[in-house]
Amino acid sequence: MGETKATAFRRVIVIGYGKVTGEVLRYVCDRQEEYGYDLEFIEHEMHSLSVTEKICAERGVSFQRIPDKKRLAAYLDGVVGETLIVSASNNYLFPSALVQKENITVINFHNALLPEYPGRNAPTWVIYAGEKETGITWHYVTVGVDEGDIIIQRRCPVGEDVKAYELTERLMDLAAEAFRECFADVLERRAQTRPQGFDPARRLYRSREIPSDGRFCLTDPPEEIYRLLRSVDYGKSDIFPPPRTVIGGREAEILRYRRIAPDGQEDRPGFVYLPFRDGLLKMKYRYADCADEKDCTGGGT
Amino acid sequence: MEEKILEILEEHCEEALTYDGDSMMEDGVIDSFTVINVVSDLEDEFDIEIDAKYVVAENFRNKEAIIALVKRLLEE
Repeated sequence: MGETKATAFRRVIVIGYGKVTGEVLRYVCDRQEEYGYDLEFIEHEMHSLSVTEKICAERGVSFQRIPDKKRLAAYLDGVVGETLIVSASNNYLFPSALVQKENITVINFHNALLPEYPGRNAPTWVIYAGEKETGITWHYVTVGVDEGDIIIQRRCPVGEDVKAYELTERLMDLAAEAFRECFADVLERRAQTRPQGFDPARRLYRSREIPSDGRFCLTDPPEEIYRLLRSVDYGKSDIFPPPRTVIGGREAEILRYRRIAPDGQEDRPGFVYLPFRDGLLKMKYRYADCADEKDCTGGGT
Repeated sequence: MEEKILEILEEHCEEALTYDGDSMMEDGVIDSFTVINVVSDLEDEFDIEIDAKYVVAENFRNKEAIIALVKRLLEE
């Protein structure tokens, strides 16, 4: 066994859900013996495909499921000793009193290049704005949301066809890489940080906000429609409701969409096509007010 | 049909084709983003809607489970 490296942190708590959480948890576990801290994982938000419990079981890491916000706040408030909390893909807002405690340090992964796009669902707003580049930020957590000093950032291009879930995956991979680069510096309190220098009046994106209220008109520019569809596309997760429009005078939900060749149009109900770039934008829909399944796709063009 | 499902799986995660266990997610063969991609392609290919309630680790534990899920949805 090698010599234990110097860190003031006696305990590391990882909290979050999703792909990056698993990667971070594994890495923190890998460095545990080297630095000698105690390690625990807290699952606050549930995810049907989460594997963090399994990782904890395999590696002997303490696993706690605390879905209740008040209970979690009380638990964290009771933490004693120098503790580092790693918030990796986590939507829980740490109480002000907690982040101001002398024995507590919190770092957080944000899925955009702060100070741009603070708040929730940053990949959505990045795509919707038509940004060509985005990235990730690991930063210290302070009282204000996504306001703390930047520890590390990594950039990536935003493809012209990328969907929100695809961009999210890329950002999580970047976040895991960046975490591996900066974790030792954070533990040893020698991370080179820089303040965000943000405009105090900057927009903070809230969870209830949806681009264009999740609606479009079939007469809108197709490029805008496509951006909206991609920006709220998180696969089957219910982060946003399906985008809506009016088809044949009825309210319709877009179920799927895809770019296709100009000759790819089929004469089938439930699909609508728009000329788009060098081909078509194909959208499958169902009427939002349909009484039964047969009525759901009508005979749309 | 099975052949097409295996093609989709191969495109997103070749390892899934040779995996012979019963928990691809927990064994790290596929992750949640791969599942989203597979679901999206299955919906397009078979013109089905795979409701979120079906997108759980149990239905993606191995390739046989995925095939069974698609069969079930096609029969509905």
